[in-house]
Amino acid sequence: MRTDNLEELIAKFKQKDRRALARLISLIENDPELAGKVFKHFNKPNDAYIIGITGPPGVGKSTLINQLAQKLAEEGKRIGIISIDPSSPFSGGAFLGDRIRMSGLQQDKIFMRSMASRGAVGGLSRATFDICLLYEAFGMDIVIVETVGAGQSEVEVLHLADTILVINVPGLGDSIQCQKAGIIEIGDILVVNKKDLGGEEIAVQLDLILDDAVMYIGQTGWRPPVVQTNSISGEGIDELIEEIWNHKEHIELAGILEQKRQKRLKDKLIALIQFKILNYVMQHIYPTIEKTKLNNIYENKYNVYDVAQSIYNDFFSQLKGRES
Amino acid sequence: MAGPIRVLMSKPGIDGHWRGIVVVSRGLRDAGMEVIFGGFQTCEQIVETAIEEDVDMIGLSIHSGAHIGYTKRVVDLLKEKGLNGHFLLLVGGAIPSKDFEVLKEIGAANVYGPGSLIKDIVAFIKEHVKK
Ligand SMILES: Nc1nc2c(ncn2[C@@H]2O[C@H](COP(=O)(O)OP(=O)(O)O)[C@@H](O)[C@H]2O)c(=O)[nH]1
Ligand SMILES: [Mg+2]
Repeated sequence: MRTDNLEELIAKFKQKDRRALARLISLIENDPELAGKVFKHFNKPNDAYIIGITGPPGVGKSTLINQLAQKLAEEGKRIGIISIDPSSPFSGGAFLGDRIRMSGLQQDKIFMRSMASRGAVGGLSRATFDICLLYEAFGMDIVIVETVGAGQSEVEVLHLADTILVINVPGLGDSIQCQKAGIIEIGDILVVNKKDLGGEEIAVQLDLILDDAVMYIGQTGWRPPVVQTNSISGEGIDELIEEIWNHKEHIELAGILEQKRQKRLKDKLIALIQFKILNYVMQHIYPTIEKTKLNNIYENKYNVYDVAQSIYNDFFSQLKGRES
Repeated sequence: MAGPIRVLMSKPGIDGHWRGIVVVSRGLRDAGMEVIFGGFQTCEQIVETAIEEDVDMIGLSIHSGAHIGYTKRVVDLLKEKGLNGHFLLLVGGAIPSKDFEVLKEIGAANVYGPGSLIKDIVAFIKEHVKK
């Protein structure tokens, strides 16, 4: 039988027990309030370097991670991977297929976890951050986060990363134009994967777009490089790793890494506050609005604003009551 | 707090039959489960994946005729790691009914041969996963 005793799990976790890590990930994923209890047991935070990988489905993100993580492990690095796929909004279930591209990763230095987005309030970014912390506490040097490049929430996850790779492939020429703004905004390194299928044209096109993006480069001083890879043969992966370390060095020297990490913690703090307050309101105040108030809304939807205000007022007066 | 049921769907050994595992995986997803699709994996990889992904159930899809050997190997590896009974183990595929009891004795919680219904598999998992 598996144990859910927290003390026991944490003791095992500290001895680098992979099952304890796996179980703690599940517990934190299932219960947002648990993370605080877990991290009480750790006092010396260590920083892992977080690499975010995004791009449309099928461009080879998981296959690329398979190469990247193996090479980094050969250099002696310990690596934690999180691959996120969407949950079905209808059933809540998910099909997590990233592992089939990562058969080269089963070894002591690497831990890979598939995660469903579980769409609910704040779910995605919250658990991802917590699991990054958990990997760090476990002693990982590098955390790699794979997301599907679609939707606002993905951008949120990417705020987690120190270096962001945006993956493209040959044949997506038109969509590059559409993505233009997005690419320049979030990609620290642009990867054109599936080099065996071409991609020279896109690489050139991206270079041209980047050359035009003087404004952006002015802000950080970093001109994102374009790297062509073949994630099946491993061609270009060494160059990609070199560019990752170049970017790391750049943002360290420019003080950007420090800023990013502070921003990340601030975002997390705000997310936690929102979560706690919303939880309180939903548990203690929302149930007390009588059916009539809901009926008011159904009868005249303009009332929705008033009802929200009255819930807020109830919350506020409860707060005042507590103070005195 | 219990989250969704997590399952690992794998094919130990290489045979060409993908349809079964894909259809069942979709069915489990549509029943609200998080399906980690392992595809072709060695028995060692299956056990390691089940640990990392902290799944509740391991599903083996076997069409090569070697279902007894593979199932036994997975169960032995689980025993070696002290994980006997930790995961609900289901075996499916081209399995003659005469072997059902053998597989159950080895450690499969249930066996699904040709003609099995997804709704029965879902019901069985929901009933037997300890949440
Ligand atoms: N030809 C070619 N195929 C690749 C390459 N990298 C990945 N693939 C294939 O692209 C498909 C999707 O890969 P996957 O890693 O799952 O993409 P993801 O959805 O972005 O994670 C798979 O069939 C891979 O084998 C590459 O460099 N060249
Ligand atoms: Mg993927």
